[in-house]
Amino acid sequence: MEKQVGDRGSVTDRGGPVIDTALRRAFQAALGPDAVLDDPLQLRTYECDGLTGFRRVPALVLLPRDTEEVAAAVSLCAEAGVPFVARGAGTGLSGGAVPVAQGVVVSLARMRRVLEFDPEDRRTVVEPGVTNAEISRLAAPHGLHYAPDPSSQVVCTIGGNVAENSGGAHCVKYGFTVHHVHALRVVLPDGSTVRLGGDAPETAGPDLRGLFIGSEGTLGIATEITVRLLRSPEGVRTLVADFPTARQAGDAVGEIMAAGIVPAAVEMLDALAIEACEAAVGAGYTRGTAAALVVELDGLDEECEEQFRDVVAVCRRQGTTKIRVAADARERALVWKGRKAAFAAMGRISPDYFVQDGVVPRTRLAEALDRIAEMSKARGLRVANVFHAGDGNLHPLVLFDEKAGETERAERLSRDIAEMCVELGGSLSGEHGIGLDKACSMPRMFGEDDLAAMERLRKAFDPDGLSNPGKVLPTPRLCGEPPGRYRPHPLETAGVVERW
Amino acid sequence: MADDSSAAVRPGASPAPRSGGVRSVVRPESLAEAVDAVRAAAAADRALLFTGAGSALSWGAPPRRTDVVLETTGLNRVLDHAAADLTVRVQAGMSLEELQRLLAPSRQWLPFDPPAASSGATLGGLLACADAGPRQPAFGSLRDLVIGATLVLADGSVVRTGGRVIKNVAGYDLAKLFAGSLGAFGLVAELTLRVHPRPRATATLAVPVAGPEGALTAARAALRSPLEPVAAEWDGAHRLLLRFHGTPGGVEARLRLAAAVPELAGARPIGDEAEQADVWAAQARLVNGDEGDTVLRAGVRPAHLPDLVRSLEECARRDGVEATACGSVAIGVLTVRLRGGDAASHAACLTDWRRTVHALGGTVTLRRRREGVDALADAWGPAPSALPVLRALKRRFDPADRCAPGRFAPWF
Repeated sequence: MEKQVGDRGSVTDRGGPVIDTALRRAFQAALGPDAVLDDPLQLRTYECDGLTGFRRVPALVLLPRDTEEVAAAVSLCAEAGVPFVARGAGTGLSGGAVPVAQGVVVSLARMRRVLEFDPEDRRTVVEPGVTNAEISRLAAPHGLHYAPDPSSQVVCTIGGNVAENSGGAHCVKYGFTVHHVHALRVVLPDGSTVRLGGDAPETAGPDLRGLFIGSEGTLGIATEITVRLLRSPEGVRTLVADFPTARQAGDAVGEIMAAGIVPAAVEMLDALAIEACEAAVGAGYTRGTAAALVVELDGLDEECEEQFRDVVAVCRRQGTTKIRVAADARERALVWKGRKAAFAAMGRISPDYFVQDGVVPRTRLAEALDRIAEMSKARGLRVANVFHAGDGNLHPLVLFDEKAGETERAERLSRDIAEMCVELGGSLSGEHGIGLDKACSMPRMFGEDDLAAMERLRKAFDPDGLSNPGKVLPTPRLCGEPPGRYRPHPLETAGVVERW
Repeated sequence: MADDSSAAVRPGASPAPRSGGVRSVVRPESLAEAVDAVRAAAAADRALLFTGAGSALSWGAPPRRTDVVLETTGLNRVLDHAAADLTVRVQAGMSLEELQRLLAPSRQWLPFDPPAASSGATLGGLLACADAGPRQPAFGSLRDLVIGATLVLADGSVVRTGGRVIKNVAGYDLAKLFAGSLGAFGLVAELTLRVHPRPRATATLAVPVAGPEGALTAARAALRSPLEPVAAEWDGAHRLLLRFHGTPGGVEARLRLAAAVPELAGARPIGDEAEQADVWAAQARLVNGDEGDTVLRAGVRPAHLPDLVRSLEECARRDGVEATACGSVAIGVLTVRLRGGDAASHAACLTDWRRTVHALGGTVTLRRRREGVDALADAWGPAPSALPVLRALKRRFDPADRCAPGRFAPWF
């Protein structure tokens, strides 16, 4: 049922100016002919990001090589009133990099230089196309690493991480992207270049760096990113504990936290997720166990060992049926490989799946899981659960079969789960972002005045609405009026935006 | 709601905003009262100054006009402490010290220790000032611990941002706009904070160092070692203070291991908790400064720190003032105190040294100044590249320029 929409000259969802020959030539003159893609086949590879249900073909794709070229490209867009969408590796899971019909995609794929590396002051300045894992690889010989570690870290770019304020498994202890970026060079939507943040964590005036991080490409394009590097911990201990119920696993997490231990990571997988991971990776998780907890501690060797003994004792008290301790770095890597492969592994047990990303207060995890189980039963679709148990960040995976016509039901179930998280006092998104996917759910979490203030902020950076329009904030055009519970939005009905 | 029409801000508050005649002081005791006060000011086109304990009124530039002082210390309740979720929601006029007292029975705390805390500084005020303390290298500042906020904008609209969970990326994080805003965009009325477990043990190590180079070398070595110091503060002379957190065994191990780090040779552990508290309180006094001092706070690349300290000494000699510097050397945060001389020499030293810091890519915030300096030097210095964005934000959030007008002069 896939249908391409938004081809140049056909359907537009903005009614904005069409890119004409003169503008195309101007882009070519500024960036070089090889940096301007307009071949329909090539354009098609940019039609979606990791959330493949939303697709739109852009009018042009630009491939600038440095800040000056990004600024030139954005200036031309600003002059012509043409919307643009920045794109890293395209691994985002909320449709944040979906192009705008009649618009331009600014791909940062060619900006992969490491501009500066300073192990003494523990920082590096990189271009946005450098991958997350590459930074840690560079830092490793100096005993340093870059802390945020989203599951896609091998391919996802630091520019995308900045846009999404990416987290990962270890953020319960180490925080998110916003805690690890000192400064940004940013091309604003009018084409001007500014520096946000500074050389130290303290700067003068409001924290514009912090505002920009997590703004999902709507306030401009980061072209140089100064990240903070941390000393890699001396000791690391990892265990996998099986539990007969998710509730007991959740209670174990509670007791660990109550003891004042801040684990580097606490992850939980349910039986269905384990089944898929084992099929895909064979990481040695116990098939058939109701819940497996991955607990990792790091820090000073002696202290790590001491607290690890406490964690083992807690797991025993809460009725663990099996504890597997990673014997060495290789086994630890295998445990993590299994966990990080969880999303992709779903392909082994289901033809199609949606990845959801919601947050509940940690103490309401068990309740949230019960609700998910009920909702799953009511909709007649399986849901696998993989989540960051330390901070209540759930990643329910809704399994379905498109060919059996289950898509719409699965989409509703997934959306209902995210909105249930808000009801329990949580959030629509812990790390994947709002993007196009959840913009219409924002009124579930924020009131009219809250959203109006966000709009003011956006307008201060982008008065003409050219930088990634239609993302993050609900619009009547996208969501219908008044915004509320999900229904197919007018654009879908009109065939402008297409889902699975 | 208290409404006091006298000109004084509050007995004991220091120093009163230097502006032409404060007309009234309101002290709301609920969010609704605060909103009413802001709306009333909006309706009457009165300029507002938001104050907490009044410990940072001298930061930045003086307000150009203040018609109404909205004092937040009546907004001082805990709204919800979800201990097991490691979050607490409070009214923003609560003092940091009071919050720490309330969290203590749960063996929790906010790992945040700005020197202004001892003056009763409020949580909302500390966010608006972007103040930070010695533990900043490990835990950041208040903006890093805020997970949600309720803000009252200049037009009286009440805006909630963030949430109540420690992980959340839904929407823009407006609390960041208010971090360091000095009240220029509106009032911080409520905050939801991420709390941490209180460390079971702490220790402080005093390391003898030779000047800023020595301090930087020792601090970097400590950070390179497995010791995981949460603070590394140079006292501006011959001592670097390292602080450690952990289990009793872990802290003991750190002290033992520190003895094997060559750059930390001669380090001496500071005895018990009370003695540690004294040492850190003395460090805080260096940062706070005294009446008549000019105090600057700089953020610089750590590698530039020794040069900047030398350049400060030169500026001070040339301009005829006494200058001292101390700070979190490993992250490039430096507090500078000017004493002696007169307003003209303070103004000259401020301007000269700030120019050097800016040339090296750093930033400077003026926290306190000798009377008379304002007439001779501007408070903020060269504008940042993002000035047009700051101005646009001000226009969008406070178009009539009623919130702390002039506090960021000459920038906006």
